[in-house]
Amino acid sequence: MAQQYAIELKGITKTFGSVVANNNVELNVRPGEILALLGENGSGKTTLMNMLSGIYKPDSGHIFVDGKEVSIDSPEDSKRLGIGMVHQHFKLVDVFSAADNIWMGRDKSGLVLGRDRYDEIENMAKKFGFEIDPRKKVYNMAVSEKQTLEIIKVLYYGAKIIILDEPTAVLTVQEIDKLFNVLRRMKAEGHSIIIITHKLNEVMDISDRVAILRKGEYITTVNTAETNEQELTEWMVGRKIDLNIDRPHMEKTRPLLELRDVSIRSDEGAVAIDGVNFYIRGGEILGVAGIAGCGQKELCEAIAGLRPIEKGQMIHKGENIVGLSPRAILEKGISMSFIPEDRLGMGLAPSLSITDNMLLKKYAEAKGPFVDRKQGKADAEQVIRELEVVTPSAETPVRRLSGGNVQKVLLGREIKAGPNVIITAYPVRGLDINSSYAIYNILNQQKQAGVGVLFVGEDLDVMIALCDKIMVLCHGKVMGVVHAHKTTKEELGLMMTGALDLVHKYEDKPAGLARDTRFGEQNEEG
Amino acid sequence: MKKILALLLAVVLVMGLTACGTEPDTDEFIVGAIYINSRNDTAGYTFAHHNGITKAMEELGLDVNTQLVIVDEVPEDKEQVLAAVDTLVGEGADIIFGISFGYIDAMEEAAKTYPDVIFSHATGYKSNTTNFNNYFGRAYQARYLAGIAAGLKSLEIGNNNVGYVAAYGTEYAETASGINGFAMGVLAVNPNATIYVKNLGAWADEVNEAAFANELIDSYNCGVISQHCDSAQPQIAAQNKGVFGCGYNSDMTPDAPKAHLTAAIWNWNVYYRTAMEAAMNCGEASKFVETMGSGAYYGGLKEGFVDVSPLSENCAPKTAEIIAAVKAMMVNGEWDVFSGVKLQISPDGTITKVDAALVDNNGNEIVPAGGASVEDSVITGTMNYFVAGVKEG
Amino acid sequence: MSFHIVKRDNCPLWKKCALYVGAVVIALLLGSLLLLALGVNPVVYYSRMFTMGTVGNKIAYKVWINYLKSFVPLALTSVALSLAFKMRFWNIGGEGQFILGAIASAFVAFTVGPFLPEPLTLIVMCLAAMAVAGLYGLFVAALKVKFGTNETLMTLMLNYVALYVLIFLAEAKADWNFFLDPGSLRPVFASFADIVSFPSIPLGGQFSLNLCVIFTFLIGALVYVYLKYTKHGYEIAVVGDSAGTARYAGMKVNKIVLRTVFLSAALIGLAAAFKVGTAGILSTSITDDVGWTGIIVAWLSQLNTGVIFVVSALITMLHYGSTVAAATFSQVDSSFANMLQGVILFLVLAADFYTRFRVVIVKKGDK
Repeated sequence: MAQQYAIELKGITKTFGSVVANNNVELNVRPGEILALLGENGSGKTTLMNMLSGIYKPDSGHIFVDGKEVSIDSPEDSKRLGIGMVHQHFKLVDVFSAADNIWMGRDKSGLVLGRDRYDEIENMAKKFGFEIDPRKKVYNMAVSEKQTLEIIKVLYYGAKIIILDEPTAVLTVQEIDKLFNVLRRMKAEGHSIIIITHKLNEVMDISDRVAILRKGEYITTVNTAETNEQELTEWMVGRKIDLNIDRPHMEKTRPLLELRDVSIRSDEGAVAIDGVNFYIRGGEILGVAGIAGCGQKELCEAIAGLRPIEKGQMIHKGENIVGLSPRAILEKGISMSFIPEDRLGMGLAPSLSITDNMLLKKYAEAKGPFVDRKQGKADAEQVIRELEVVTPSAETPVRRLSGGNVQKVLLGREIKAGPNVIITAYPVRGLDINSSYAIYNILNQQKQAGVGVLFVGEDLDVMIALCDKIMVLCHGKVMGVVHAHKTTKEELGLMMTGALDLVHKYEDKPAGLARDTRFGEQNEEG
Repeated sequence: MKKILALLLAVVLVMGLTACGTEPDTDEFIVGAIYINSRNDTAGYTFAHHNGITKAMEELGLDVNTQLVIVDEVPEDKEQVLAAVDTLVGEGADIIFGISFGYIDAMEEAAKTYPDVIFSHATGYKSNTTNFNNYFGRAYQARYLAGIAAGLKSLEIGNNNVGYVAAYGTEYAETASGINGFAMGVLAVNPNATIYVKNLGAWADEVNEAAFANELIDSYNCGVISQHCDSAQPQIAAQNKGVFGCGYNSDMTPDAPKAHLTAAIWNWNVYYRTAMEAAMNCGEASKFVETMGSGAYYGGLKEGFVDVSPLSENCAPKTAEIIAAVKAMMVNGEWDVFSGVKLQISPDGTITKVDAALVDNNGNEIVPAGGASVEDSVITGTMNYFVAGVKEG
Repeated sequence: MSFHIVKRDNCPLWKKCALYVGAVVIALLLGSLLLLALGVNPVVYYSRMFTMGTVGNKIAYKVWINYLKSFVPLALTSVALSLAFKMRFWNIGGEGQFILGAIASAFVAFTVGPFLPEPLTLIVMCLAAMAVAGLYGLFVAALKVKFGTNETLMTLMLNYVALYVLIFLAEAKADWNFFLDPGSLRPVFASFADIVSFPSIPLGGQFSLNLCVIFTFLIGALVYVYLKYTKHGYEIAVVGDSAGTARYAGMKVNKIVLRTVFLSAALIGLAAAFKVGTAGILSTSITDDVGWTGIIVAWLSQLNTGVIFVVSALITMLHYGSTVAAATFSQVDSSFANMLQGVILFLVLAADFYTRFRVVIVKKGDK
């Protein structure tokens, strides 16, 4: 054998029902190497890695660890073989301390929790170069701390092969740098690392080699140094693609929706949005950037009337609409499409047909006690046609559609209602590149039609390219609103962590307040 | 194969025809039964009735496999009982026995709906003059005899406290008359005895049956435990504590060989045989009650409907002799329990009749000294008191 | 060798039917083995079971009348439960709601029955049963909406509260207790059949069709339309599918929950009124377990109103036919009949599982 691989997968196939998640996949990792596993959402990256961590079992194929064929039937098997995985959604117990989260998985830990466990964990963390307070409870931790804890946990159990599933999705630019330094150090110590991602710049930055999956199929593995982003994209998508996003220029109109000094509480009663000021004009896309969970969801819900506004004003076309019912706000022409992590949680009823989902916001308009399905069907067919939704029929339950089509249905319905303000959060979450571009196009069309768009996004590159202005939130506070064509990712990253506050940059101008709002005029008159 | 079948069928038909010719139509007589529990029970109330019916049928030469139709596990719900009746009538039942008290209204109504079918209801009190009767037995007579055995034992062991685990107390005449009959048997032998009654408040409750027996033994210092409940738990408890007991429904000596004296038992087959014979001989259903002589069958020691089980070796000397003598007095109608005449029985076997008022345990006179027996309707229906000497525990 | 379970995307109708029929056949074959062990000819037993003993029965019309008497409460209760289930509100309280509905309608029959004309009494009985049962359900829904209590536990527990109220009424011999027969020495429920009962329409021969049967089918049709075509039905579907989405669409979710649960429980109360109004008497086993069986029916029917009627009819046939078949075989008691029913239901549910998933057997590679 010419080369001893730390892990080698041969001919791995895994199906879920009629869906082939992995088909005859080949993969190998050398000791002391960082391998990037690249592919679009739904290309089978996570499924493949879950077979290494013992969550799934392959239908067929062989797995070799250090040259020996193994069978991984459970997470315990995986642990024993020295494979550790840091999942995208952390597997931590919130009410436990850092040390206890590590401790509880230990086979030999007795019935009694000794005090020395804190020291032991702390020392171990120091050895690998991590700073962590072993007594800190997980619910008090920031996202990056939780991720560090997950990595320490994996190392504690002696993993030689570490798999990270989309580790950068929840991190700021600065935190990503820190994480990559850690990974490089681990690599130097001889660990093998597999990092799952779909962000090309990160692949180029960190990896030694790249393995590419497309729609469950293994495409190729290349040395990172011998490739470029364009080539990787072509492998990933399967054809040449234009990576530029348009930003059509529009004449400014007056602010359509303006929030003044708005505070909102989260479900737990904590202040989620704290004294926020901003406005959206017609014909512009205002991006909202921020680390996950810093108030985006609460903000969207409050604008849609689903969450009470603690204090402050929400002015739509000069009229304060705080306290109106969700339906009244809908009737004002403010539409919200929020794509939560499970995609279907808000905005769509997954078991109902496309037709029924079209009716969601206007079923009550029909006269009499009956629902007007004819209208729904007509709308559904129009959306299917115009947005090229792939579906057997308008009567197909929405949950049977693929992610991109689901999101098209959702956006299609919102646009169909002819809104003047669209609130959209994570509209391209989980979509492949083609679908994402289709969504960006839809948003741009709306913008050109004079609609004000609030775009809550995740990918800073996309936001910089698509939005006119970007507002950055940090812990419910606005850190500033910047022009997208003038800002950089680094600047946004600093604002997201709260290190840079641009709100008070210009002392002469009150930040976040539009000078030409009608509401303002009324105030001045009064 | 088909030929053989046809041949067999012909043989059966011919035999059936010849059988019909002479005897009453025993081969076509169908017995129906509605049970509260499962026909496959191995103990308890339904078991006792099912046993009685099958035994009576065997005695009469009826085939249990083809001539008995049963709907079991029928709750005391009028609709469900009526549906069961419809099923049994649909199967061609000529007589239908309903064994649970709560079937009473349904049985009455069914007798009207199906005048060609005989309805016979256990433990009830309703009847008509044609095709609907009720049946029950003088359990108090058997209990009196068991009481004698218990009384003699109490004298022998020198403990005047006797316990009684009862399903209910004075709420039901059935339980009250049983307790009173037993108590009077005890007191006839041992006038100083006290009968402590613990009320279960349920017809079957195995856990409490044992617990209450233990309490009677431990807290009330009882030396003999009698019972009105289905399981042998009180007898087993008596054996475990080294005291004695009288069972009910079946001979419980095998359950508690060191404690059990004798049990008051039912021979349901006695009635079932009588009723089936009457039904087969009366010609048409409307003559059934007339043939039976009354709408209420109330059999006792005389008919052999109730009795005591064979006495065990635990009984005091002379018990058998005394019980036989007292039983003879009741069988030949010379004396009965609830009257103004009491028996005084000495352990040596002397039995004396004494005129004495029947008094309840609150001192009210029920029957004056020398008075006649109370009406049967009192014993089956309105007896809602305990006689003197009974205490509720 | 090992196996794992894989979700099926779509199971064609013929395959579903084949699976269900197969399940029943397997259950019957298992039953045959047991019957043979008991010395009973399974062919005779099953033929009696499936014909419910109507063949060669001179009072076969009675069988059909009794059959419909069992069918009506079960079908109506299942339909009512499906309303709540569609909204993912787990109303396990059918028994309790049925019992309270029964008590309420008996109360009306005893108190105002003697004074009002019969049709009016019947209407008041139905309304009272619906109101009381509906409020019993509404109580749980209100607690859920207000305090987020678990409706499964609440409705389950309230079943026993209702049952013990009924048992108390059945056993409390007292002057105030007009539910009991004053003429009886032991406490037994009094009959009001001569005061008021649902009329039947004679349909030739001796068979007559009770009005309740017609009403039940009518209500079934209405519920079908309600769920499928009305705005309320649409709201129920959306709330059941995703409460978050419903709120987002501007629906008043709490109001919808309260309204639907009230309706579900009220229809169960109506089923009770039908039952009591036909029987003319209360009983501690008045529900005949429809509150439980109805849950199974609703699930087997996948909450489809039309299918509920078919499944109710089949389950009632199984139930009734088992009793009839067992009657003539002295070895076979109703426990066996219940067990056979259990086996059939279990295997049908297993078949249901197979319509959604399939099991893949994996041969392990060489070690």
